[in-house]
Amino acid sequence: MKNATKSQRILVAMSGGVDSSVAAALLVQQGYDVVGATMKTFCYSGSEMSSKTCCGLDGIADARRVSDTLGIPHYVFDVEEDFTREVIDDFVSEYARGRTPNPCVRCNSNTKFKDLMKRGRTLGCDGIASGHYVRIDHSNIDSPALYRGVDTSKDQSYFLWGIPTEMLPLLHFPLGDLTKQEVREQARALGLVTADKPESQEICFVPTGDYRDLLEKRLEARHPALEPGRIIRLDGEVLGEHSGYANFTVGQRKGLGGGFGEPLYVIEIRADSREVVVGTAEEGGSPSVEISELNWQATRPPNGSPIRVQIRYRAPAVSATVHSMDGPFTLVFDEPQQAVTPGQSAVFFEGERVLGGGRIERALVATKAC
Amino acid sequence: MIYLDHAATTPIRSEVREGMIAVLDGDFGNPSSAHGWGRRAAAHLEEARERVADTIEADRSEIYFVRGGTESDNLAILGHAAAVRHQGGTPFAVASTIEHKAVLGAAAEVANQGGRWSTVPVYADGTLDMDALDTALASGATIVSVMTVNNEVGIQLPIEDVVERTSAHRSVSHTDAVQALGKVPVSVRDLPVDLLSLTGHKIYGAKGTGVLFVRRGVDIAPLIFGGGQERALRPGTEDVAGAVGMSIAVDLAVQEQESESARLRGLRDLLQSRLEGEIPGLRIHGDVPDRAPHILNVGIPNVDPEALLAGLDLEGIAASAGSACESGAQTASHVLEALYGRLEGVAALRFSLGHSTTEDDVIHAAEGTLKVLERMPSVETPA
Repeated sequence: MKNATKSQRILVAMSGGVDSSVAAALLVQQGYDVVGATMKTFCYSGSEMSSKTCCGLDGIADARRVSDTLGIPHYVFDVEEDFTREVIDDFVSEYARGRTPNPCVRCNSNTKFKDLMKRGRTLGCDGIASGHYVRIDHSNIDSPALYRGVDTSKDQSYFLWGIPTEMLPLLHFPLGDLTKQEVREQARALGLVTADKPESQEICFVPTGDYRDLLEKRLEARHPALEPGRIIRLDGEVLGEHSGYANFTVGQRKGLGGGFGEPLYVIEIRADSREVVVGTAEEGGSPSVEISELNWQATRPPNGSPIRVQIRYRAPAVSATVHSMDGPFTLVFDEPQQAVTPGQSAVFFEGERVLGGGRIERALVATKAC
Repeated sequence: MIYLDHAATTPIRSEVREGMIAVLDGDFGNPSSAHGWGRRAAAHLEEARERVADTIEADRSEIYFVRGGTESDNLAILGHAAAVRHQGGTPFAVASTIEHKAVLGAAAEVANQGGRWSTVPVYADGTLDMDALDTALASGATIVSVMTVNNEVGIQLPIEDVVERTSAHRSVSHTDAVQALGKVPVSVRDLPVDLLSLTGHKIYGAKGTGVLFVRRGVDIAPLIFGGGQERALRPGTEDVAGAVGMSIAVDLAVQEQESESARLRGLRDLLQSRLEGEIPGLRIHGDVPDRAPHILNVGIPNVDPEALLAGLDLEGIAASAGSACESGAQTASHVLEALYGRLEGVAALRFSLGHSTTEDDVIHAAEGTLKVLERMPSVETPA
């Protein structure tokens, strides 16, 4: 039977990796009534998916083992339908449009936390937790604030800007104050089987790292994104051919072949004409960026406000000014930025605090305006 | 904790454990060895074979020890297919739509290996489509596999009729009796079936133990190769302790079948009556006249099955959503789909009762289920 003072029940997302294992362990230590959950995001049976990533069947097995070690219940929830619709379909259609999607952001914003919340409610849970390296401050009950994780090399705030604001009061991120090394030490001290598991770097549904296979399977035959096209300069000069614009990402240098005399980068992908536009770093600089699908976890700053924005995972935030008189939400950078990549996230900060974010819709190319 | 998942697996009973430990601790010999240790082990093995044979009224030469139910089903279907091929024929496996995956998978493999396979429908009233069976037999079915008791809903299939029609076509009949033994009478004298599969762990024996009964004169070729153990049909040094445990489990299950079935039936009906009337739209799956006593499978509308099972577990009630499958994830049941079509938004919940089940357990399980359901929101209609 339960004690008279019923402790808070928390549903923790466990991928079978070391981070979420330790997150669960810390919550147990803190006296919560912890329930583990692994989201089964896509069909594993008969697929050639490797087991080395966190979300595979080995991941589920490891999450169950860790739960057993911690003495907590653990459940597997099949969210394949939601995940396919919200994340994989979006991933494919973004590449088809010549953009570079960020499926982890999409998952956190549209499926993972929503699905956890839904299940948590039916299991009588009072909160939801994950092993992300971010901090959450609940001292203002009405508007909890999300902050960067203390371990700057692991900080995952870039991936969490899309969590609906109304969910924040229920969230717990036990790893926000820890470094990765401390997390591993904790895992070893607790004897968790996941303590020395390697990092998962790849996208969970593209474990080989080669997303072209997936696109070939899911796009209709001879889709323009996978058909040859021209590599051109901004002035229209043709430099060569490519084998499909879906292989390119704005800002990338590799894969263009060398011998141009100066380093060239992809600065634009024109899906309509299947052209990949390359140029020098200078030509690729964007003075401003248009952002869509905004989500604000704090009050939206008014027009003309200074703001810090991070436009890539592992890039520092840079200074910009909010400029959205009547058109789409636009930020004007203090300094032109390289590799402003449509489809990636733009995340807004005030110091360490996440204010919100959105999807990069369009980079304005400096020389194009002339 | 209330364990109502006996159709998934059962704990080992003390008689089985003691029988196995005696072999594991003392008589560890290899039955093929020519010395005393070997002879003692061989004696245990043959005694076990005889015990199983006597219990299901077979000859001991017809009993083969294998490593579990899935292996037994596979050896029956694929082993017979191999024998048919050796004689220059084309194997054609036929199975009911509600067979265990071990049978359906093996039958599909017959087709992968160049033969054919097809299914025969079972309807919601528990009847099997005899016309479809006759058609399959007329078009050359070499083996027909129909289970004695279904593991998800407890339906007893009309195997006497199936065996009769199959024999009339000189085809081979197989029945997966894994869920039947100890719940309904199982005798290969009363039922002239050619092949019959059993497993230990559903009847308080050990996992990894099983039996295939092969009626004398029925051709089965081995699927793995090596020494001459089990008359070369299942080579590999015998699991003597497992065979001994299996034989004790089979023996006791059959001895206790009548009284235990009556007891379980009473408890199952009590559980059903406690849920009926309390849950709007409750469906009883497998509610047919010939119904095994230990299974209650219910359908609850507008509820997320995964969340329901998790909720029950948190209340200390172990049930299942059909059958246990890999890593605890739940997938739609092919059995329910075959019987009732796609059950959109219906959570299927299987309670399976066993030795440890008491009246208190059943009453508490019903209360717990209602409590969990109270907390569950209706499934949202997809946006």
